[in-house]
Amino acid sequence: MVDVEKLREIAREVVSREDVRQLIGYRQGTYGFRARPAFITSPEEVDQLIFSPACVNNLATYLTLEERLPVPRGQEPDLRKVAVMVKGCDSRALVQQMEEKAYERDRIVVLGIPCTGVVDMDKVEKRFPNVLSRGEIALEGDKFVLSFDGKREEVPKEELLADKCKRCRYPTPLVYDQLLDEEVSRFADDDYADVLALEKRSAEEKWAYWEEKFSRCIRCYSCRNVCPMCYCEDCVLDRLNPQWMRRSVDISETTAYHIARAYHLAGRCIQCGECQRVCPVEIPLMELNRKFYKDVEELYDYEPGTDAEAPPLLATFKVDDREDFIL
Amino acid sequence: MNGKPKIGVYVCHCGTNIAGVVNVEEVVQFASTLPDVVVARNYSYMCSDPGQALITDDIQNYGLNRVVVASCSPRMHEPTFRKTLLSGGLNPYFLEMANIREQCSWVHEDPIAATEKAKRIVEAAVVKARRLEALDVKEVDVEPACLIIGAGIAGIQAALDIADAGFKVYLVEKSPTVGGHMAQLDKTFPTLDCSACILTPKMVDVANHSNIELMTYSQVEEISGYIGNFQVKVRKKSRFVDMEKCTGCGACAEVCRMAGRIPNEFDEGIGMRGAIYLPFPQAVPAKYTIDKENCLFLSKGKCGESPKCKEACQAEAINFDLQDEIVEFKVGTIIVATGYDVFDARKKPEYAYGVYDNVLTALEFERLVNASGPTGGKIVMLERGKKKKKKEGEEVEPPKVPKSITFIQCVGSRDKSVGNEYCSRVCCMYTAKLAHLAKDKIPDCEVTIFYMDVRAFGKGFEEFYDRVRREGVRYIRGNPSEIFKRGDKLVVKAEDTLTATPLEHETDMVVLSVGLVPRSDNREIIDLLKLSQSSDLFYLEAHPKLRPVDTASDGVFLAGVCQGPKDIPDAVAQAKGAASAAMIPMASGKVKVEAQTSVVNEATCRGCGFCVAVCPFTAIELVEVNRNGWPVKVARVNEALCKGCGACAAACLSGSIQQRSFKDIQILPQIQALGVK
Repeated sequence: MVDVEKLREIAREVVSREDVRQLIGYRQGTYGFRARPAFITSPEEVDQLIFSPACVNNLATYLTLEERLPVPRGQEPDLRKVAVMVKGCDSRALVQQMEEKAYERDRIVVLGIPCTGVVDMDKVEKRFPNVLSRGEIALEGDKFVLSFDGKREEVPKEELLADKCKRCRYPTPLVYDQLLDEEVSRFADDDYADVLALEKRSAEEKWAYWEEKFSRCIRCYSCRNVCPMCYCEDCVLDRLNPQWMRRSVDISETTAYHIARAYHLAGRCIQCGECQRVCPVEIPLMELNRKFYKDVEELYDYEPGTDAEAPPLLATFKVDDREDFIL
Repeated sequence: MNGKPKIGVYVCHCGTNIAGVVNVEEVVQFASTLPDVVVARNYSYMCSDPGQALITDDIQNYGLNRVVVASCSPRMHEPTFRKTLLSGGLNPYFLEMANIREQCSWVHEDPIAATEKAKRIVEAAVVKARRLEALDVKEVDVEPACLIIGAGIAGIQAALDIADAGFKVYLVEKSPTVGGHMAQLDKTFPTLDCSACILTPKMVDVANHSNIELMTYSQVEEISGYIGNFQVKVRKKSRFVDMEKCTGCGACAEVCRMAGRIPNEFDEGIGMRGAIYLPFPQAVPAKYTIDKENCLFLSKGKCGESPKCKEACQAEAINFDLQDEIVEFKVGTIIVATGYDVFDARKKPEYAYGVYDNVLTALEFERLVNASGPTGGKIVMLERGKKKKKKEGEEVEPPKVPKSITFIQCVGSRDKSVGNEYCSRVCCMYTAKLAHLAKDKIPDCEVTIFYMDVRAFGKGFEEFYDRVRREGVRYIRGNPSEIFKRGDKLVVKAEDTLTATPLEHETDMVVLSVGLVPRSDNREIIDLLKLSQSSDLFYLEAHPKLRPVDTASDGVFLAGVCQGPKDIPDAVAQAKGAASAAMIPMASGKVKVEAQTSVVNEATCRGCGFCVAVCPFTAIELVEVNRNGWPVKVARVNEALCKGCGACAAACLSGSIQQRSFKDIQILPQIQALGVK
C-alpha cells in the first residue's frame, strides 16, 4: 500500500518545482467510497491527495483531454510539465500516447503507483448500497477493509476486485520518474476466457448478443470521452461533411459507432477498462476491445502500451506479417 | 472550375467485350437522366480517334466541364482520356472512369443483371464527377544521370547505351569485378560463341568509358528522392589495396599464406583462391582485393612475422588501414539489373548434391569445361574437400576422366515442391550446350539427359537441339526420383515415361541443370526502391506486356534476370529497352509529377506520425506549426515525392490526411450511389 504521507511529501516537492504546472492525482469523492481526480497546482492543496483501491480512474486521459485555449496576443503558452499519478494499467496509456507522439517524455512527470488492485465500484455499491457518507477502502492482506458510518467491514479481495485486475500483467508502472512504493510482481495473467467464450458463439448468436447491447446505447459518448486513446482534436464522429454516421440513436448508426471505435482502438487499446466502467447502460465494451487485443497479440506478437520506442502496430509493415486471416 | 457541373457520359462497347453482355443503349438512356448530365452517348471504341473526337466536340458544343467514360479499368486508358480532356481544353482531372468491363461485363453472364450493375457503376462515377476538383500538374527537372545497380551483362549493356548517348552513368557492382554470371560461362548457346570473347570487350569498355563511373565491390546503401532527383549513397567497400597503385601483377596472391585454401566464388567453389585475389584473369578492374574475413592479418591480427603480400607488392599498393568510402551523388533515373542466384540443389535432397562429390550443378560444370576454369577446361572427376598431401617423391595420380555424364533438367524449375512453378527458360538449352561440350572434349563419353520437356523456342534453338541429339547425346524423358551410389558408380533411378520403363542408369558424373531463382539478397533493393515482386518473387514490371522494363516507381527500370528468367539475348534486349526508357526523362529534361497527391488538414492533424510511418515513399514528415499560439507537430506532404498511393489516408485516425481526387467527400457519395437504394 502506498504511504499517503510519503505520497504527499513527494507531491509537494513536485508541485513546488518551477517547471511543473500541475499535478493530476486522486482525492476523496463527495460521497460514498468514491475517489475523484484532483488537479493540484499549489503545495497547499497537496494534503487532498490520497491513494486507495477506490482510485479507479485512469488519469492519463487528462493529459490529452486538456483543452488548449488560444493564447492571447503577446502572451506565451504555458508549456510547463504536467505531473500525473498512474497505476500499472494507466501507465500503459502514457506509453501508448508517447508511441503516438501525443507529447514528448520530457513534458510529463510520472509518479508511479505499484498497484495491488482496485475495486469495482459497482460491486462495492451492490454489497453496500446507499452509503452516502464518505467511506474509505483499504487493502489488508487478501481482504478489502471498508470503513463507513463508524463501521468496519471486511470483504475477501476476490469479491470486490475489478475484473481487469484479475488478469493484470503489468501491476507496476512501465514508465515513471518516481515510484511511490515497492515494485509489485505480476499476480495474475490473462487467459482470455471471456473472449474465448465469445468466439465460440455462432455469427447469429454474436449478432443477437451485440444487437441487444448496442440497442441500449444512448450515444452519450462517455466511452469515447474517458478513453485515454481517444484524443483527436476533431473526432471524425463530430464531422458533418462528410458525415460518417448520423447522430440519431438507432441500432444501425449505433452499431456503426461502436464498431468504428473498436477498430480505431485495434492495436492501441491498453485495457484500462475505463470505457466499460463509465458506460451508464452497462455495454460490455471491453469484450470488443479485448477480442482485438487478443488478435493483435496472437497475430503480431504485439501488446499496445508496453514499449514507447516501438512504432505503432498499425503504422508498421513486415514482409512476414501474417495475412492468412484476410479473406 | 466554377459554376454548375455539366457532365458528358460516354459508354464504350469495347467491340463486344462490353456490348456483348451489357445493354449499352439502356445504360446511356439511364445516364442521361442523372443530375447534371448534359449529354450521354455510346460508341464502339471510345479510345479510338473518332471516340475521343466525340468527347472533344461535346466539350466545345455543350460546354462540358466534367467527363465520365464508362469503359475499361483506368489502368490502361485513364491517361488516354486525360489527354483527350486536355486537348478539349479541360483540366485532365475532371475525368472519371466507370469500369464496366473488368468489373462488370467480363465477370457476369446475365445481361439484365449486368446492365443494372453497369448503371450503378455509371451513376457512382457521375456522382463523383460532380465533386471532382481541378488539379495542377507540376513539372520537375531531371538530373541527366543514371544509376545502374548490377554490372552483369544487362547492367553493362544498359550502361554503355546510356553513356554513349551522352548521359552520366554510375554503375555499381557488389562483387570485385564486373561481368556477372555471363563471365563464368564457357560457350553460349545456340551459336557456341565464346562467352568471354564477346563479353570482355564490353567489360573493358565500361571501365574506360568517360561517361561511366564504375564502382565495383560497392553497395548502394540509401536512395531517397523521386524521378529526376534521386539522392544515392554508395558504400565502396575497402579492398585494402590502393586501386591507383595496384598494377594487377599478382605477386601478392602467389605468396598469400591462405593461397589455394579458400573456395573461389567465381569458380563456384571448385577452384581455390587466397585471401588476396583476382576472381579471374580477365576481371575488370584488374585490381586485387583482400577478403577481410579470410585474411589472417585482418581477421586475426597476425600473419606470420608480417603479411607476405605487403612485402611482395612492389607497387606498395597494399594498405591495411584503408577504410570503406561513402560516396553520394544525384541521379535522375535508376536501372536495377541485379541478376539472379542459381537454385540451391540441396533443396532437392533426392539428388544427393553435397553428398556425392560428382553430383555437380550446371554452373560448377560450366567452370569445369571453361578453359579459364580451375582445371583449364579439362572435364575431370572431382574430389571435393580433400586436402592433397604431397609427400616427397610421391607421384600424384592424375584425376580421372568421366566415361559417362548424366544431366538432369528442371532441378528447381517447374517444381511446386520447392515453390518454383516457373520455367527457368535457359536450362534446356544450356544443358544441350554442356552436353555438346562434354561430347566435344571426351568423344567416347556417354552423355545422357533426363528431361521433362525440351523447350527449344528461341532463334536457332530447335536446330541446336537437333544437332546435339545427332551427336549421340541420349535424351530420356523422365524425372529421376533418386541418386545413389553403387560401388564407384552413381546410379540415377528414373522412369522412361515414353516407354513406361523403370530404369537405373549408372554413370560417373551427374550434372544438375539448376534453375534461376531471385537473388537471396533481393530484399535489399526492394527496401531501397520499394519495388514489388511477382508471385515467383522476381521484381515486378509495371505491365507484363506494354511496360516490361518499367516498375511501379517512376524513374526506376528493370533489366535482365532480376525481372524474370531470360537468356543472354533477351537480357541484352531488355537492357537496351531499359536504357532507352531511362533516357526518355533524361533527354526531355523534365517530368510531370503525380497530381493526385495527399493533402493534410493541419487544423485537425494531431501529429501522431502514423502517415509518416506508412508512407512507402518517405514523402511525409512532421513539422512544428503554431496552432492558436501553441507549438504543435503536424504532418506535411512533399508533393514531389508523393505518388498518391493513399496509404496515409487509410492510416489516419482523425481523417486529417486525404488524397486529392479520392477525398472522403468525393468517395462517400460514390459508395452511396452503389449501395442499396
